[in-house]
Amino acid sequence: MYIKKRKILNFAIIARLLGILLLIEAAFMLVPFAVCFLYEELETAKSFGLSILITVVVGLLGLFCKTESHEMGKREGFLLTGLTWVVFSFFGMLPFLFYDTGLNVASAFFETMSGLTTTGASTIASVEAMPHGILLWRAITHFIGGMGIILFTLAIIPMLNKQSGIQLFNAEVTGITHEKVRPRISHTAKTLWLIYIILNILLIAALWIGPMNLFEAICHSFSTIATGGFSTRNDSIIAFDSNYVKIVITIFMFLAGINFSLFYHLVHGDIKSLIKSDITRWYIGAIIILILAVIGIELLENPDFSRLPQMLIDIPFQIVSSITSTGFNATNFTAWQHASIIVLILGMIMGSCAGSTAGGIKIDRVVLICKNLKNELHKLLHPNTVLPLRINGKILGPEHVLKVSAFLLLFVLSTILGMIVLTLSGLNLQDGLFASLSCICNNGLGWGFTSVSYAGLNDISKWVMSALMLIGRLEIFTVMVLFSKSFWSK
Amino acid sequence: MKIVIAGAGEVGTHLAKLLSKEGLDIILIDPEESKLQAIDANYNLMTLTGSPISFKVLKDSNVAGCDLFIAVTPFETANLVACSFAKKLGAGKTVARIDNYEFIKPEYRQYFLGMGIDELIYPEKFASEEIITAINHSWVRNWFELYDGELILTGVKLRKNASIVGRQLKDIAMSGHPFHICAIKRRHETIIPRGDDHLEEGDIAYIITQDESIPYVIDICGKTIKKPIKRILIVGGSRIAIQLVNMLDPHYKIKIIESDGDKCLKMLDKVGDNCKVIHGDGRDIELLREEQIEDYDAFIALTDSSETNILACLTAKEFGVSKTIAEVENIQFIAEAENLNIGTVINKKLLASSKIFQILLDFDSSNSKCLALTDAEVAEIVAKEKSKITKAPVKDLSLPHDMTLGGLIRDGKGMLVNGNTQILPGDHVLVFCLSGAIHKIEKYFN
Repeated sequence: MYIKKRKILNFAIIARLLGILLLIEAAFMLVPFAVCFLYEELETAKSFGLSILITVVVGLLGLFCKTESHEMGKREGFLLTGLTWVVFSFFGMLPFLFYDTGLNVASAFFETMSGLTTTGASTIASVEAMPHGILLWRAITHFIGGMGIILFTLAIIPMLNKQSGIQLFNAEVTGITHEKVRPRISHTAKTLWLIYIILNILLIAALWIGPMNLFEAICHSFSTIATGGFSTRNDSIIAFDSNYVKIVITIFMFLAGINFSLFYHLVHGDIKSLIKSDITRWYIGAIIILILAVIGIELLENPDFSRLPQMLIDIPFQIVSSITSTGFNATNFTAWQHASIIVLILGMIMGSCAGSTAGGIKIDRVVLICKNLKNELHKLLHPNTVLPLRINGKILGPEHVLKVSAFLLLFVLSTILGMIVLTLSGLNLQDGLFASLSCICNNGLGWGFTSVSYAGLNDISKWVMSALMLIGRLEIFTVMVLFSKSFWSK
Repeated sequence: MKIVIAGAGEVGTHLAKLLSKEGLDIILIDPEESKLQAIDANYNLMTLTGSPISFKVLKDSNVAGCDLFIAVTPFETANLVACSFAKKLGAGKTVARIDNYEFIKPEYRQYFLGMGIDELIYPEKFASEEIITAINHSWVRNWFELYDGELILTGVKLRKNASIVGRQLKDIAMSGHPFHICAIKRRHETIIPRGDDHLEEGDIAYIITQDESIPYVIDICGKTIKKPIKRILIVGGSRIAIQLVNMLDPHYKIKIIESDGDKCLKMLDKVGDNCKVIHGDGRDIELLREEQIEDYDAFIALTDSSETNILACLTAKEFGVSKTIAEVENIQFIAEAENLNIGTVINKKLLASSKIFQILLDFDSSNSKCLALTDAEVAEIVAKEKSKITKAPVKDLSLPHDMTLGGLIRDGKGMLVNGNTQILPGDHVLVFCLSGAIHKIEKYFN
């Protein structure tokens, strides 16, 4: 009997797709390149020109890779997804290197990875000193990474509108189960991207009406909807000193944390699925509880009720910014009580709904684990009861609990690894914990050592933090599987 | 085109995979989530857990906007009800799989149309028809008559004595033979051959020819026409067996071996006098010998177990039965069974799917017909005015490598296609292609 022997990995097709992806990245770079001329920043334009050239040449090299078969299995799917993010960051950092931003390779890579994974932690000490081109490129990395590089590719390359596309979709999209909104993968991707773009347009308009100019409105909108956190100001949102901006951004950060497929159902007149969604209710509930907790703690410490009206704007902003993993600052929360910081960290870890652009471990998993915990406690008293684990009206089997448990374990281990590296480099325990969590949750808030920027970290820490961001963005398993023995052996 | 498939059984999943590869929008519904999980994670389609006879589920799957609704759950009544619901909710066309021969009688068609069911699929009937064709043309593996017999497509297993084995196709074509080899099945792959491919011993060659050239094809393939089949031995009294016996001409002498005693008794009511029923195990060699298996011309194994059917056919071959037919329901086994020299392999699922595929293509406006040969497809496509295919003789068209033109029908007359043929608008062209390529090909005709 004769069966064609399959190679363990089809590297040629991966190289080819990476080539296509690099060409897409180069196309994105054209935008800041053009903007440089608008603001007459020729130095920056030169750096973008050079970056585009290099990216296109390497992309074409990949594109002309000879492929024997177009077959893509699960292995190729995982590897391609992981590699895409790394390669994108690698070429995305070129503009930072060619223009004299004062960043070394580790910092530039950290900056780009932070942009793509929508972490928003910056290694640039003063962003206000940067030219428009560089600032826009930072915002664009958020824009691409927010909904997902792979998802964008699925939407525009018909070549992936088949089985292999599904593998990529599963490897990149967040959540316990992956919901498709339309029968074909490219339609699903297009729909999600369309919702994403509409949200962006709405926010740009809303911010432009306010105190921001168009450029800042675009940058902040890309940053908000992607739940990123890069700003064009050193002081983030505080710099605008406008309650209008704070409230608008709070609302849109909140929206960006909701599962995008619910917006699709909403547009199709299905309001029920939004109201009936347990996850959304838990999400709103968690935000309210966290806000009340912080307000309570702060008032308990300093019962000065004249501060309350401003707190009612700043604290919701900061909590939503942390729970959606955006990482904007609307207030100097470094001055908060430690107890409030712990509440903030809770929000950061919890994250928002799966299927949104937010990071963290996702409310879905929290809900699952909490409901399971309740069932387990009940079972201690009534061992023979069969209890359902119902989320959004659907009963999930025990295998999901196991998967979520494994996820949480890996999440804790990765965070601890990050903490070890950070404390070795001289940070104290609490700063290390905060920075490590901030990276793996794709949050980007800084506190203590990292409160101004992440520039003070040493190079090794920056590489490790970049890795943590990627692990967090791809929800751990996609990255970890690449290092497992079974991935590489037949 | 949007298609909703209810029932993720073997026919449902097979169809869903096939149609999704063709680039259509597929939504697959099944009450069992476990059946959907694997297919949802690996195929480019959407799945929905729930009963197909629930209005809520049907609305969620957006049947109102679908062009085709296919109900292939294991339950006949559920299929009929689901189709009826779907039609009322606004589905374009509905197809239900049924288990009852009575339903497909023409006099009831209007009744089903009134219920909102456009097409009924009865796989047992297709299987029986397939078996009858195999009995009538016992020297071939497959036999399809296209366009009222103007063109004939046969699949022939080539043995050492066939004179075309070892020769390149272009040499065969040069010597002006009245046939066209349009696909070769070699071990596990199907090849759409080019001029420099050659035929090997053990290949199944799919040959397009015309009625008057059949004796010639039989000759060069090294076959001889055996005496017509008279006596048939059937193992397994399944629904197909009963359907088959009733459809066969009464001059055949038939014996059915069935291991279930009650079933034997019940069967007696349903079959004619030309059929004897034996109670016993079809794998028992003693029994087969007692029933004088060596005197039979054809042996048909139709039990529920594919393995039993394959083994029983091999035993029958040893006894010298010239034509063996096995029902093989595990799709993975088909290639193996064909390699084991079982004359014809019947698979209800493939037959049902190819029928549904045909309904789909009929409806796709291009008036194509389709036969599924495990991994290749044959489509009959009408060349439109000013389409690409009519621009030049076939050899100058630089057609893709995974397709070949088998023959064409012009003004109701069949003819073969060679490199110099000029296709005219309005011709019905038979196209062979590998699975999934059919939509790529249609653009040449539109």
